[in-house]
Amino acid sequence: MHDITVVDLSRLQFAATALYHFLFVPLTLGMTFMLAAMETVYVVTGKVIYRQITQFWGKLFLINFALGVATGLTMEFQFGTNWSFYSSFVGDIFGAPLAIEGLMAFFLESTFVGLMVFGWHRLKPGQHLAVTYLVALGSNLSALWILVANAFMQDPVGAHFNPTTMRMELNDFAALIFSSDAQAKFVHTSIAGYVTAAIFVAGVSAWYMLKNRHMELARRSFRMSVLFGVLSTAGVITLGDALGFVGAEAQPTKLAAMEGLWKTESAPMPFNLMAFPSQENQTNYGEVKVPYVLSILVTHSLTGTVPGVDVLEQRAAERIRGGIPAVSSLKMLSADPNDPVAMNQFNTHQKDLGYGFLVKRYADDVTTATDEQIAQAAKDSIPHVATMFWSFRVMVLLGLGMLAFFVLGLIYTLRNTVQYKRTFLKFAVWMIPAPFLACEAGWLVAEIGRQPWTVYGLLPTWMSASTHSVGYMVFSLIGFVAVYTVFIVIEMYLMVRAIRKGPDDGNGDAELDRGDLSLPASRKTLAEA
Amino acid sequence: MKTFIQFSIFMLIAGLAIVLAIILGDCGAWYFAWLVGTVMIVLIAAVGGALLDAQDERAAALALERKDGKH
Repeated sequence: MHDITVVDLSRLQFAATALYHFLFVPLTLGMTFMLAAMETVYVVTGKVIYRQITQFWGKLFLINFALGVATGLTMEFQFGTNWSFYSSFVGDIFGAPLAIEGLMAFFLESTFVGLMVFGWHRLKPGQHLAVTYLVALGSNLSALWILVANAFMQDPVGAHFNPTTMRMELNDFAALIFSSDAQAKFVHTSIAGYVTAAIFVAGVSAWYMLKNRHMELARRSFRMSVLFGVLSTAGVITLGDALGFVGAEAQPTKLAAMEGLWKTESAPMPFNLMAFPSQENQTNYGEVKVPYVLSILVTHSLTGTVPGVDVLEQRAAERIRGGIPAVSSLKMLSADPNDPVAMNQFNTHQKDLGYGFLVKRYADDVTTATDEQIAQAAKDSIPHVATMFWSFRVMVLLGLGMLAFFVLGLIYTLRNTVQYKRTFLKFAVWMIPAPFLACEAGWLVAEIGRQPWTVYGLLPTWMSASTHSVGYMVFSLIGFVAVYTVFIVIEMYLMVRAIRKGPDDGNGDAELDRGDLSLPASRKTLAEA
Repeated sequence: MKTFIQFSIFMLIAGLAIVLAIILGDCGAWYFAWLVGTVMIVLIAAVGGALLDAQDERAAALALERKDGKH
């Protein structure tokens, strides 16, 4: 039997490393495409200012990229060290996208990052632009494969459990890649990165405008970032809705927890704008409800409804009862893999196998599980509601706030008056942390909402962890947090230093009229014109 | 000849886009939406930068005209 403290520490360690890592990732995902947009203008118009802009933001990207890679590497190792049963159980499926990520996307990204940084004077503008686009594509493909792997944990499709090998096996790679969850999650996460980069560029540009420094760089960067941001934020919101719609089918417990939906309500369901959920009493205190909205949000109709915690717990209890024969048949099959009675019993109950594992936490021999133990295991199938409820609302509120910010910024920049709006510019600087917080809140919703499963409906978290000692886990957790905190401090120091210093020429617009010797003649003519 | 090459390239891109839309549309459209959306976001941001330059140049030209008018 696993020590639950070790399981919790393993979860905490993975959560800590993932949350630290995801402070770096979104900026990389978005900044690469912003750099591509900036460099596109340089190559098309031939104006040197856009090369300076690209190089300046490229330097900030590079700082973030280097530290982001360092924080990401340890996460893949943790699957082996801290989640060994999980790795063994679903390694056939989970390993494939992770391997492709390493071999294809990360190699592509890393190789071309070198060319992007050192290739300015070695490549023609068009070639360099192609390299920048490949870096952008590589970093986002990298995210794609990771999110395909994560989507399998949220909605396990394209695989089946083999009772002979006692492991999950991949049987439909296309189903894995094209699952609704993988698609919606990848696009939602990737575009959230675009929003992060847009807010970052807009915020830093606003700071330059407030200081009246590098105005040519700042005005252009701000204009491009708000256009980039306003479209991206609209995309994030659309995909957030899609993810909720997909989740309503695939993970009803996550949705019920997000909405603080303790009791199933008839359509049209009201939306809890605010509430203080109590897990113990299974009720909300201080509810502020908006009529009709929840039905529209999660079912896209006024007549749709979704199950609340009460119904979901009942369903879980039924599935636990159905899963107990499946788990007991595995014991017989481990003794005799050719036992036809056991195989028949397994085939009849295999859809509830995971739920049978849930009660194993309370009854080692599941066939002796009492009604109380089954009820307790069913209660465990609901994630922590208050955390889900508020993480989701923080994410949504920040998302809507960013959309409003971009729209206002767009109006000001299109009127060419943004440099005079000092209050707005100060606000823009303070907006920089918003997308990072929204991304972190989003991951809390995604991962806490998956509990108590590592693979939803198949493998409980408590079974997935390695059997380390508490001391080992505490020591390694403290080590990771300490090292990653140092990384964050280094990143912020390097970023602030680079921002204070500004573009390499110290002005940002000094070379505007000089032309560019590295450009072809036709482009030089265009630039001069 | 140049027009023909450009026409061929654009037709190829359009054809590829349609084929991708058909293949991905059967499996779920979000990956395709990401491809199209990202291209659109990048290009619109790039156009926004170019538009700012055009606005600046126009403002400078108007200022010059006003100055010349006064003289």
